[in-house]
Amino acid sequence: MSVVLRVMSSPWTRLVLVTMLVLSLQTTLFAEMRPFGTAIQIVGIFVGAIGVMHGVQVGALAGLACGLMYDSVLPTPLGLGALVLGLVGVAAAALLAPFRESTWWMRAGAAAIAAGIGEVVWPLMSAVVGLDGWLTPRSLVAAATSLVAGLVLAWPLLPVAAWTLRDGGAVE
Amino acid sequence: MAEFRINRTRAIVLLALTSIFLITLDISGGGTSVVRNTFGTFFRPVEGVTRVVTRPIVNAWRSFRNFDDVVAENQILQERIAQQEGAAVAAAASVRLSQELLALNGLPTLAGINSVTAQVIGDSPSNVSQTIEINQGSDAGLKVGMPVLNAAGLVGKVTEVSANRALVMLLTDPDYALSVKVIAEPSRRATTVTSLPTENRVTPDEDLTSPAATTTTTTTTTTTIPTIPGFTPASTTVPVIPSPNAQITVPNASQLAVRETGVLQGRGPGKRPVVRFLEALPSGENIQVGAPIVSSGGSRSLAPPDVVIGVVSRVVERGGTAGPVLEVDLVADLSNLSFLRVLLYQPITETQR
Repeated sequence: MSVVLRVMSSPWTRLVLVTMLVLSLQTTLFAEMRPFGTAIQIVGIFVGAIGVMHGVQVGALAGLACGLMYDSVLPTPLGLGALVLGLVGVAAAALLAPFRESTWWMRAGAAAIAAGIGEVVWPLMSAVVGLDGWLTPRSLVAAATSLVAGLVLAWPLLPVAAWTLRDGGAVE
Repeated sequence: MAEFRINRTRAIVLLALTSIFLITLDISGGGTSVVRNTFGTFFRPVEGVTRVVTRPIVNAWRSFRNFDDVVAENQILQERIAQQEGAAVAAAASVRLSQELLALNGLPTLAGINSVTAQVIGDSPSNVSQTIEINQGSDAGLKVGMPVLNAAGLVGKVTEVSANRALVMLLTDPDYALSVKVIAEPSRRATTVTSLPTENRVTPDEDLTSPAATTTTTTTTTTTIPTIPGFTPASTTVPVIPSPNAQITVPNASQLAVRETGVLQGRGPGKRPVVRFLEALPSGENIQVGAPIVSSGGSRSLAPPDVVIGVVSRVVERGGTAGPVLEVDLVADLSNLSFLRVLLYQPITETQR
């Protein structure tokens, strides 16, 4: 019984549950609302928020987990989203690495920029594994859209990301 | 709880190796569908609840974005309906006649294939796939590979199926490819030629090789036109009494309907799909803008024959021996899909899935 409680209270279990909610928003609300014809990647922004709140290691592992869940609802190869979102988590944390103290707006900006980078890296990695046709100028529009949306959406997602992996995760 | 400790380099290496392993496993067909199905079992109820909760926001967004377009489109459509009502009756009669003829000859028709009606319940959440989600799945008999149509024409194919949901890959996805035939619109003008004197008569073979078909009027009672590809020969009866000015009508060989087979490929959102030919077409000049494109069918095709896909919107000639590339205007509006029809037709190439 204590093992079950321990697993249920684990921050990684919390991550899976919260990611399912974020992912359901991605596949419903943000799949329908498409500014400039592109879908805002709230999952990418969420992973970026985890990266800036918890560092490179947690960002990479959380991105891997979120990406695997995202891959499970996409027709793209399993692991592609995991790789891209893992890199988003790493990039978000790395963007804040030069700063000793980061403000909330710097964190929001880093999460948004990382999500935007993910929108370019995703078609790039798709091309690497043989899925041609996605690396187009439209990727830049998608990146810009996610970046701008990220500046708004990261603000509420930062405390959610901080709470989700509080008291655990990978630390050096 | 013991903390899970890992350093930065190891985290990144772990990420990269795990992802590469999974991608390799998935591309080689290593049973990753189990992972997807298991996750889907837990995720679909959550998604369903979120869909209901977010529906008012989505509707408000659509109202804000589409109201003016809908009003304008409604006016255009009303005018177009009025124009097409008459033509539709004639077209329906032609289609019925065509189906009867195909059935009489034992050829497959769309009318003989069962279908399931489905509603679109979701768009692609990603910017790197062109898919939609429909509310029918394996419980309704859907299987991977089945062609999906709307009232206008072909929309795509089923790529993933769960119990009561399915993912449909749209025609515009770069991963979509389908063998199609382009039916070049023949000019209905027939060539009328004046009969030639007997000494200038040409043989039937010469007649066929000549681009502009000519024929002769002889003193015999009946002249049979030899077989012309794509044209059913008929007997031409001329008067017994020779008449130097008698005219007979023979269609020009270069104006007969031409069916060229190529491969339709999607090119991503915002771009028209194209039809590619492996080599230059001897009759390539016959393909003109507006020529209809339908599925070619065949044992390895993803769709039954003669499913309407679109019309040629542009012909791009290529150098050397490469055939032309045709840009296609799809008849189905993929940006505004609601109710779809899934043909219960599983291609042979997909029966193992």
